[in-house]
Amino acid sequence: MGALIALLAVAFLAGVFGSMLGVGGGLIMVPMLSLAFGVPIKVAIATSIVCVIATSTMAQTTFVTRGMTNIRLGMLLEVATVVGAVAGGVTAVLIDGRVLQFAFAGLLFYVAWQMNRRGGDATPARTGVLEASYYDPAARREIEYGVRRTRLGFVLSLGAGNVSGLLGVGGGAFKVPIMNLVMGVPLKATIATSNLMIGVTAAAGAAIFYGRGYMDPYYAVPAALGILAGARLGPRLAVRLSARALGIIFQVVLAVFALMMLLRGLGFGL
Amino acid sequence: MSARPGQASAASVHVMEPIERVIRWILLCGIALSVALMAAGLVLGVARGAGLPRGVVPLAELPRALAALRPAAYLSLGLIVLIGTPFVRVAGSLVVFARERDGRYVLVTAVVLFVMCLGVALGRM
Repeated sequence: MGALIALLAVAFLAGVFGSMLGVGGGLIMVPMLSLAFGVPIKVAIATSIVCVIATSTMAQTTFVTRGMTNIRLGMLLEVATVVGAVAGGVTAVLIDGRVLQFAFAGLLFYVAWQMNRRGGDATPARTGVLEASYYDPAARREIEYGVRRTRLGFVLSLGAGNVSGLLGVGGGAFKVPIMNLVMGVPLKATIATSNLMIGVTAAAGAAIFYGRGYMDPYYAVPAALGILAGARLGPRLAVRLSARALGIIFQVVLAVFALMMLLRGLGFGL
Repeated sequence: MSARPGQASAASVHVMEPIERVIRWILLCGIALSVALMAAGLVLGVARGAGLPRGVVPLAELPRALAALRPAAYLSLGLIVLIGTPFVRVAGSLVVFARERDGRYVLVTAVVLFVMCLGVALGRM
């Protein structure tokens, strides 16, 4: 019973942060489940994928209502990430897992540093491509923006999807920086849109894990319920916080992710 | 561009587009159904004094297990509904794009749906 309540609490926190930042949080849930709760690794991954779906689904009910999700942009980049993720299973044979984990950690540190160096949010500008607008309660104004460098963003998303397919993590940690740094989408809109996208890749993965019998309701049900509660709160925080504060939290979480991937690469069983 | 709170809250009311309304409705239904099924499974589990079951019920055995009121069946179906919600969401978006005659995004969405299903098919092999 105590473990059940602890799992609910962990899932709640993962739901808050995952939905607030658009990263899903598989990278935190998997080691948490396997180290703290002793869940077998495949079951832990299956549970974490269910958590990503729950995060994405619940978060969208808030973001879509506020018009923060750029649905067309999300759908376009989903083509890249979902193709990349499915191809990930094919390319996994070609690359050494450890090399990939170090590369992933290095890339995360680099992205966090780039976001930090940029200081503020992307400067919104009209580009005529996938334009959208939303009201930002923290800035107290309507933010209008267009998408820049769509092709580059698409190619990079292919890579992000591929890496997530290879390493079994959602890839939201890369989707947000790609849209924000490369495509010039304001942070709140990238978080909302990334949240929409992570559910798609995760759903395909979850269906496979279910079919193979790795889904365990003993962990998946409390985790999903905790996440659903947390993911009601997270987007509300994301909406109200200033883009600057959100950016700083995002950078810290990226650095934590990078550290965890580094430890995994060094063989600490994460 | 006034910072007066009254105006700010008026501006914050977003008028949802059809695609946003459809997606929101699909997601809310998915969550409600999935939570209801999981809750039913938990209640059945407690009522039978068995606690949370281990392992999901395979798809083929699901109807019989549901009829037998096995807690695992309701928990499994709750998880299936949750996992299925993004599929339905993408399919629903496809329908809205088609109704809006947005050919480019009908294609984009169809590709996403196809690759999702392909991933499942490949994973089963």
